[in-house]
Amino acid sequence: MTVQPTEQGAPTAAPSGNPVLELTDVAVHFGGVKAVDGITLRLEPGLVYGIIGPNGSGKTTLIGAITRLTKLTRGQLLFDGSSYLGLRASGLARLGVARTFQTVRLLPDLDVVQNIMLGFDGRSDRGDAGEPRTAERGSLWGRAIGRSTRPEVADAIARTGLEGFERYYPSELSYGTQRRVEIARAIAMNPRLLLLDEPTAGMNQAERAEISALMRELRSQGLCQLLVEHDVQMMIDTCDYVFAMNTGRLIAEGEPRDVVQNPLVQEAYLGRKWREHA
Amino acid sequence: MIDFFNSNLVLVQATLAGLVLALSVQVPLRMGVFSFAGAGSYGLGGYAAALLVIHLELNAFEAIGLTMLITAFVGLLLGLVISRLNGLYLAMATVAFDLIISVVAINGGTFTGESTGLYGVIVDFTTTQMFILTLVALVLVALSERGRVGRRSQAVRDDQQLAASAGVNVRRYRLMAFVVSGALGGLAGAMNVMVRTTIGPLDIGFGLIVLALTMIIVGGAMSWKGAVLGAIIFTWLPHFLDFIGEWQNLVYGIIVALAAIFLPRGIHGVIVDIIRSVQRKRRGTLDKPAPDPSDDAGPEELLPTSSGAPSSPPQQPVPGGAAATQLARGAKS
Repeated sequence: MTVQPTEQGAPTAAPSGNPVLELTDVAVHFGGVKAVDGITLRLEPGLVYGIIGPNGSGKTTLIGAITRLTKLTRGQLLFDGSSYLGLRASGLARLGVARTFQTVRLLPDLDVVQNIMLGFDGRSDRGDAGEPRTAERGSLWGRAIGRSTRPEVADAIARTGLEGFERYYPSELSYGTQRRVEIARAIAMNPRLLLLDEPTAGMNQAERAEISALMRELRSQGLCQLLVEHDVQMMIDTCDYVFAMNTGRLIAEGEPRDVVQNPLVQEAYLGRKWREHA
Repeated sequence: MIDFFNSNLVLVQATLAGLVLALSVQVPLRMGVFSFAGAGSYGLGGYAAALLVIHLELNAFEAIGLTMLITAFVGLLLGLVISRLNGLYLAMATVAFDLIISVVAINGGTFTGESTGLYGVIVDFTTTQMFILTLVALVLVALSERGRVGRRSQAVRDDQQLAASAGVNVRRYRLMAFVVSGALGGLAGAMNVMVRTTIGPLDIGFGLIVLALTMIIVGGAMSWKGAVLGAIIFTWLPHFLDFIGEWQNLVYGIIVALAAIFLPRGIHGVIVDIIRSVQRKRRGTLDKPAPDPSDDAGPEELLPTSSGAPSSPPQQPVPGGAAATQLARGAKS
């Protein structure tokens, strides 16, 4: 199923285009445990996709498999129509796949700017030969000692509302702010596919709304995003299309409101007895 | 000042050689590679430089350059074999490499001079030249701690999955640590043999690992500044403790033990902590760190609340919040 955003932002069925990412029968087994078992899905450019599912349903393992950090048991992975099973995680990142992690992972000895610069370092278009050397790029010495802030990094800082935090270290920031640094780092990679694993965990309502708005803005620029999130309201507000997982398998997919109301999804979260008494 | 250096020339030379040796261990440790192969490269470099000068009659810089190429290449081969190991296993493998160099030196026949070593490494190499080479190595190592390479090295050390996700070829960086360590160890060994004119099995071996590790544990393993501090302290300390005679080793040991217990990040780490503390105070009110909330949102989060938003703990306003809110409004409009 393929969807396209309408003027109101609601998705509608549309003919299939060239998918950014395509998974076919992807499985990740740990011994006898089938963490991910036969997932097939495709992500179209410019849309925001979501994955919901109870804890242990395999969402994060699937993100790990997509980003080549978790070894596949079987299946096929295509990025822009080409298999990337032969690539390592670093090679895939250079192709334009950025991610955040379920728990915040920042480098403790680097300040906010430097942490975000780490994402910029991974850009495939970093330091284009034809790019003019402007004052904003900083002096050669400034770049050598890592003290110049690239405009792309400044843009990521502005988009995530991190102005004023540039020289703070992660241990000095709240959990929600650390989350925003992670997202800024991913944006600084100028990705073609952005994978966000519970990006708003630990954020308050206003911050969640800001991240949701940022995701919609990135969508308007054509960036395909895959969001793993427990916050259903955010899923409804942000995503065009949602997949629901349980015990490593897809149990439902479609428009966010439909998926949330799907009996199988509610049973996966709340149990069979709840369904019987409802 | 000049008189002081002239009268302590041996100590100055030992400080410079010790510093480059310490860097050869500090560079891989900073990248999370628990390798002591720099000490083996020091021994290999010392013997290689001596042989190049004695048999091929190369001048000092030719011998040093070739020695560094040899030890860097050996470092690459070693890295290809053992870089997949981690932690203590990797450390033991590199200690074994160091011991193999010592065994070869002792059993190398006339080629290595066996237990008496090699003599007559006479070459035109001054302390000033040694200082300049050390300074060049130090500047290159210092630059590698900053900028793109520095960030990526830290990522490889702190979180390999994160590094890979940011496009860092982790294996290549770990291999690079072995190569740079080999080159630095070779440089230290080559410079030392050229100012001493001799090298023997007693000059290399396990003692070098202890010396290099001591320098960077006390000085600080995460920066070249720690290596500088450690090299100065542990080259000059025995000189100043000379008056206590055989108690010197005891005092030396106590200092290392106290540093390991009370200065886990070394003297440099303490200085960094103080600087950051001062910076925090200057910035004033901080965005208070919040505890990491459980990622178990629970089943209730599946169902939208009546207000359309899930419950979450309130947090204090943040400096970037206003801008982000404007951004959000802009995106919505």
